[in-house]
Amino acid sequence: MNNNKLAKLGISDKLYKGLNYVVLILLAIIIIVPVAWAFIASVKQDIEFYGNPWVLPQGFYLQNFVDAWEKAKMGSYMLNSLIVTSIALGLLLVIALPAAYVLSRFKFRGSVFWNMMFMAGLFINVNYIVVPIFLMLNNGDKAVRGFLGHPIFLNNLFVLALVYAAMALPFTIYLLSGYFKSLPKEFEEAASVDGAGYFRTMVQIIMPMAKPSIVTVILFNFLSFWNEYIISMTLLTTPGLRTLPVGLMNLMAAQKSAVQYGQMYAGLVIVMLPTLILYILVQKKLTQGMTMGGLKG
Amino acid sequence: MDIKKGQRRFIFFCLTPAVMLFIIFLIVPTINVFRMSTYKWGGYTDEKTFVGLQNFTKLFQSEKFYQAFQNSLLLIVVVSVITFALALVFASILSREKLKGQNLLRIIFYIPNILSVVVISAIFSAIYDPNSGLLNAILNLFRGSESAPTLWLGDQKIVIFSLSGAMIWQAIGYYMVMYMASMANVPESLYESAELEGAGRMEKFFSITIPLIWTNIRTTLTFFIISTINMSFLFVVAMTEGGPDGSTEVFLSYMYKEAYTNSSYGYGMAIGVIVFLFSFALAAILNAVTSRDHLEY
Amino acid sequence: MKKIISLALTAFLTLSLVACGSNTNNGANTTPGNSATPTPTNATEPAETQVLKFAALETAYGADMWKKVAAGFENANPNVKIETTIDKNLEDVIGPSMKSGDFPDVILISVGQPKGMTETFVKDNNVLDLTDVLSMTVPGESVTVKDKIIPGFTDTSITNPYGDGKTHLMPMFYSPTGLFFNAGLFEQKGWTVPTTWDEMWALGDKAKAEGIALFAYPTTGYFDSLFYALLNEVGGPEFFGKAMSYTEGVWQTPEATQAFDIISKLASYTEQTVPANANKDNFVKNQQLILDNKALFMPNGTWIVGEMGSAPRAEGFKWGFTSLPAVTDGGDRYSYTFFEQIWVPAKAENPDLAKQFIAYLYSDEAAAIFAEAGAIQPIKGLSDKLEGDNKLFYSIYDNGTKAAMGAFATTDPVEGVSISDTVFGTVDSLVTKAKTQQQWVEAITKASDSLRGALK
Repeated sequence: MNNNKLAKLGISDKLYKGLNYVVLILLAIIIIVPVAWAFIASVKQDIEFYGNPWVLPQGFYLQNFVDAWEKAKMGSYMLNSLIVTSIALGLLLVIALPAAYVLSRFKFRGSVFWNMMFMAGLFINVNYIVVPIFLMLNNGDKAVRGFLGHPIFLNNLFVLALVYAAMALPFTIYLLSGYFKSLPKEFEEAASVDGAGYFRTMVQIIMPMAKPSIVTVILFNFLSFWNEYIISMTLLTTPGLRTLPVGLMNLMAAQKSAVQYGQMYAGLVIVMLPTLILYILVQKKLTQGMTMGGLKG
Repeated sequence: MDIKKGQRRFIFFCLTPAVMLFIIFLIVPTINVFRMSTYKWGGYTDEKTFVGLQNFTKLFQSEKFYQAFQNSLLLIVVVSVITFALALVFASILSREKLKGQNLLRIIFYIPNILSVVVISAIFSAIYDPNSGLLNAILNLFRGSESAPTLWLGDQKIVIFSLSGAMIWQAIGYYMVMYMASMANVPESLYESAELEGAGRMEKFFSITIPLIWTNIRTTLTFFIISTINMSFLFVVAMTEGGPDGSTEVFLSYMYKEAYTNSSYGYGMAIGVIVFLFSFALAAILNAVTSRDHLEY
Repeated sequence: MKKIISLALTAFLTLSLVACGSNTNNGANTTPGNSATPTPTNATEPAETQVLKFAALETAYGADMWKKVAAGFENANPNVKIETTIDKNLEDVIGPSMKSGDFPDVILISVGQPKGMTETFVKDNNVLDLTDVLSMTVPGESVTVKDKIIPGFTDTSITNPYGDGKTHLMPMFYSPTGLFFNAGLFEQKGWTVPTTWDEMWALGDKAKAEGIALFAYPTTGYFDSLFYALLNEVGGPEFFGKAMSYTEGVWQTPEATQAFDIISKLASYTEQTVPANANKDNFVKNQQLILDNKALFMPNGTWIVGEMGSAPRAEGFKWGFTSLPAVTDGGDRYSYTFFEQIWVPAKAENPDLAKQFIAYLYSDEAAAIFAEAGAIQPIKGLSDKLEGDNKLFYSIYDNGTKAAMGAFATTDPVEGVSISDTVFGTVDSLVTKAKTQQQWVEAITKASDSLRGALK
């Protein structure tokens, strides 16, 4: 009887596993097909876009990419995006890491208050504060023009990066503090016995341990900085300074004129590729970073 | 005494840059949003009239605002519940069962999250197209190709769910990775002892997995609220512009329409204030409702 | 070091915040579009260089024609330099800096744009009175601007938004609108183009039998021209004026009811998938219905030929264009004239130079450059020189069709009320039957009532 039950279990187990595969593969297909579609669309000629969107392209029309890269200046926008994204990531790490460390591992006057404030910051939405930020920077420009002779805040890639870093602070600090909280107190105590100062303890002992979390922070924020266009469009108005997503907006139709679909999808792929590559490079660390990090259960 | 002073200085230096950036680019603009919500201002003149809470009273009498409110709430509920359930189930399959190709599947599932909304919108336009769309083509296999096509983006009763479909597709991978991360921390021994007691898969899932990742689940509830409000705006702008006939208008798309198109900047900012307070309150309520004794492992 | 920099930065910003509330006058002199300050006067050039800041929405006509025209103006006025900002997302590019009080001198962007920038300026009394431009002599010619412009274009409710006879917005490129169709299909089938709505419905039934829908529209936004022309047909210009100024009870008149009935009926003859694609990503698919012989008519403008230039089409396809059918046999037929507007913000720094520039835009020299790019201004005699499709389109008024111009009157902003959303946006719901005609009329009446009190 016992054997019988086991055998039954074995069968239902196999069935269950098979079912798992079916469901998982179905989900994978639901995700892969549309994504592959976007890539395929980028090598179609404009005229092919008027028919059924699911027909395979007649050939590889790579001219789309050449046009997007050169005529639509996606090449130089890519450089701007790279500059802004890397400065913003650098600033964010330099500013958020110490703050998260201090907020999560020290009790001091105001520590509860600032923890709360940064939490509340999660609820602030970029979409309504972007104009106030613009007005503030513009007033700053008017003020500095008096003694510098030229504006410095608007149309400045560094300032945009600074704003990006600021926007990402609440989430990043939240993520990192969660990780720091999970570390045992002994690390600091041991360091203190060894005579290391607070600063050295943080840089030499805590930071190296936070690596997986840092990778997670970099990936998440890379994605959001890279795809951001509302702030970028508002703070950078000189055409030469545009970032990729804003350039992409301009690849979309001019009013009342024919859409250059092929070029548009090539632009989409150009924006998409770097994020895909980065993701595939770091994807292993991603789960690891979250495992040990702030989202721990 | 000296140690205390050193610590204070360390805390000060670590925290100040983050706090400064936070105040300048998040707190001050938010205060300005609150301030502007009490003014009547077209947007381009010096004439700002203080109107007190008039913008808010008008808001609460506006049918369009209620429609946007209703749609936002519906999206928050539908997208969160379905994404939550699917992400949890898939995370549990991927982390509990020993399946082949797990790693590849994990990479694939996360991909929608790194795509820009513009790409997703283009993809779903091709899926939802009434004549050549993938979805109607599949449905036609069952109902015959002569039947009237379903207007996924044209029928007021369906369109909000079409929108949620795209949003769920985009969000599932993100939450799945989060849940997998915390599931990885649940000790295997717990499952083994449960198995000895004859617990089935379901039982293990509900009595071990869920309670042990409860904190993580609570955290994601807040994320669901924040990101659905934000993402629904991006999706609406890219896919339907609030149409047909206002049936997909959400909080932030309505805010944009009023603040910029209808020259009522102050009124728009009043909507911004409501969004901030609403999401904050909703998160607080959910947080209180879901709080239970923390389980350690 | 980084901390010091960030501290210094924040100090700056905090300081500037103090000035935030009051400092909104236009002391600034750079557009963000041109942050490099203009080079100071050249040593060889004694006269002081004046800078004119010009901003235009880039449309199907392209940006090149503006660069050529600007160069032409600079040639004629050696001490003037024109800084141009021409962009497809113009409102986003110049909007923020204008919020802080920094305005271009001349702006070309029309009413009816998604972000409604022009409407906002009109609502705020923020556009300069340009009536005196009409009596200016066109630079390099001996006629005045008024003499060149086709009569009627400078006394519409769009150009003279406050109803006081003063022109605040100048008419630029115009285009007749009406119903576009495949003339080739009509020839093949032996159908005649309907001249009354009754013939229209009869044709609709005939086409339906062959699996072709009578009507399609790109987005509901395209109903503005159709609705305005229709109001003129049912009640004449005077009735149209009443409707446009939200006169009490106007929507309950028999004339209005007739117009609503026609649009409701048109909705029932509309190709069923249209609402699903009536958004900015997919509206081309609705236009494609005409090229594929799946629908007969759509409301559109002359730009459609270029817009669908590379699209595949049914065999024997030939663009046809007609004004709206008449309400009664022998009744007036109307075609709404769409035109773009150019204007000067009240706070522009160089209003006189701006006016000169606008006057120059009506010169033969400038008109030729525009026409080359397909942009036609309402200048007398210009349409005679056209060729091809454009000749057909612009001659629509030659055979008895009347021109309709104007739009809903400008009001102070009323929070939460948008007349165009209410009147045009609802058409989607009429097609899908989510709303009834009665609900539609009630909503229009309500919006109209609340706007009446806010009239300028």
